[in-house]
Amino acid sequence: MRTLPWELRKLVAQSRVRAAFVVCLLAPAAVALVLSVQSGLPKDTLFGRHVLTSGFALPLVLLSFCALWVFPLLAGLVAGEVFAGEDAHGTWPALLTRGRTRGEVFTGKLVAACLVPVALLATAALSSLAAGVALAGREPLVSLSGSTLGPGRAAVLVLVSWATAVPPLLGFCALAVLLSVVSRSTVVGVAGPALLGLLMQLLSLLGSLGTSSNALLTTPFLAWRGLVREDAYYGPLWQGALVSLGWAIACLVPARLVLLRRDVS
Amino acid sequence: MASLASVEAVTARGLRKQYGEQVALDGVDLTVRRGTVHGLLGPNGAGKTTLLRVLLGLVRPDAGSVEVAGTVGGFVETPGAYPYLTGRQNLAHLAALDDEPGDVEEVLQRVGLADRADTRVRGWSLGMRQRLGIAAGLIRRPDVLVLDEPANGLDPVGALALRSLVHELAHDGLTVLLCSHDLHEVDALADDVTVLVAGRVVWGGTTTELRGRPGASLLSTSDDALAQRLAGELDVQPHQSGSLLVRATTAELDGYVLELARHGVAVRELVREGLPLEQAFLELAT
Repeated sequence: MRTLPWELRKLVAQSRVRAAFVVCLLAPAAVALVLSVQSGLPKDTLFGRHVLTSGFALPLVLLSFCALWVFPLLAGLVAGEVFAGEDAHGTWPALLTRGRTRGEVFTGKLVAACLVPVALLATAALSSLAAGVALAGREPLVSLSGSTLGPGRAAVLVLVSWATAVPPLLGFCALAVLLSVVSRSTVVGVAGPALLGLLMQLLSLLGSLGTSSNALLTTPFLAWRGLVREDAYYGPLWQGALVSLGWAIACLVPARLVLLRRDVS
Repeated sequence: MASLASVEAVTARGLRKQYGEQVALDGVDLTVRRGTVHGLLGPNGAGKTTLLRVLLGLVRPDAGSVEVAGTVGGFVETPGAYPYLTGRQNLAHLAALDDEPGDVEEVLQRVGLADRADTRVRGWSLGMRQRLGIAAGLIRRPDVLVLDEPANGLDPVGALALRSLVHELAHDGLTVLLCSHDLHEVDALADDVTVLVAGRVVWGGTTTELRGRPGASLLSTSDDALAQRLAGELDVQPHQSGSLLVRATTAELDGYVLELARHGVAVRELVREGLPLEQAFLELAT
């Protein structure tokens, strides 16, 4: 894992990754500010009607939004660049003529490509919670089953709900790594996961896949809904974790093989 | 790749590499003596860069073997760098991946980048990037340093400094494999030369031997007809310029000129076509 520290440093040194951290940190506060001055509420979104009555509603509203758009983009932004960036900068020869094997380089890059998006998600989760509390205080939250959740339990459920997005986020990171390694293009690596995420959302909306839609990588992002209720159910959570693991393996095995066998030219 | 205990730093045998229909290397044999500067010459598409990539372990040959005594470092084509990192950070990153890396500061000093090392590479000139590429090779403390067109983008002062650096490195016992289109550079630096054409080695030996190959000269004399009759085994033909075209080694040419003088034929003009090395190379490569 000697490659990991520098892979992390390289990522953090890039302006777009820094910008992503700033957005994850400040965007929830900006949303809270808009909600505090506007007259209407986002009633069509889960917990949208409660954003001004409980500070724990806003982070769940933002989680719904992020699951649709932001998480696949974050995965692409970081993991889609980690490998193809070496092609773009012509640095593979320098990197692969060191004392480390290609397998070690792959592992270090993969871990970095997963850690940074998870850190971005954690930043967004905490700043969303802080923004929600600043907007509406630590009032109890009305759960999806109609029961009232006290501030302590609501805060824990909010953070656990955000944590349930980690497995599919890592699945998207693996998808971004595969696209990045195979295409050797940062454009494909960065934009590919977001576009495929949108396509999966579209397939889910059309409903033509039936129960097969559970195998889509976007479906596990909805698993948190089973938690924020009095009679919590965990089936979608475990199913989502397995689906995410399946996607990760299906993407990473060929990605690793391609990197190990490719001619660097 | 295995290690060698003999005087050879690099030994390649029967290297073959094909990209689709295009044969890049066609049974290439290469021997590089330890502690020498070895020039790799050839026209575009001759397979030089592919050969260097194979030596660096970046490309797997379809057939053949490569043995390198110790570690190999260097760069092929334009060396890459992370534009969002400083020069020092670029080197520190690469050093962190080696088991026994060199000292970053010392290497920066050696390639003349110490003053600019703390600025981001994004704004650097091609010449500075070339020097950073050399530094990236040196930071590994390699036994064999591969340099592909290292003077590319360097101004005359930089090119001179590079030659001096390569001389120093060779003097310190490092083996340098130098690929260049600049025959003056190879002439000035290399002890040995391998010439590749269309993926095959067409000549290998010392630069002295290469210079000794028959070259072309244009000769004007007081009696060209007699001069042709006196040529004996030498290849002397009338040339469209009105002169005689003589193909001979330097030693043969010396003997021929003396022979002409003995027979009262005055040499009015004798022009060798380019550098001896250039002459020999062009003859082999075309």
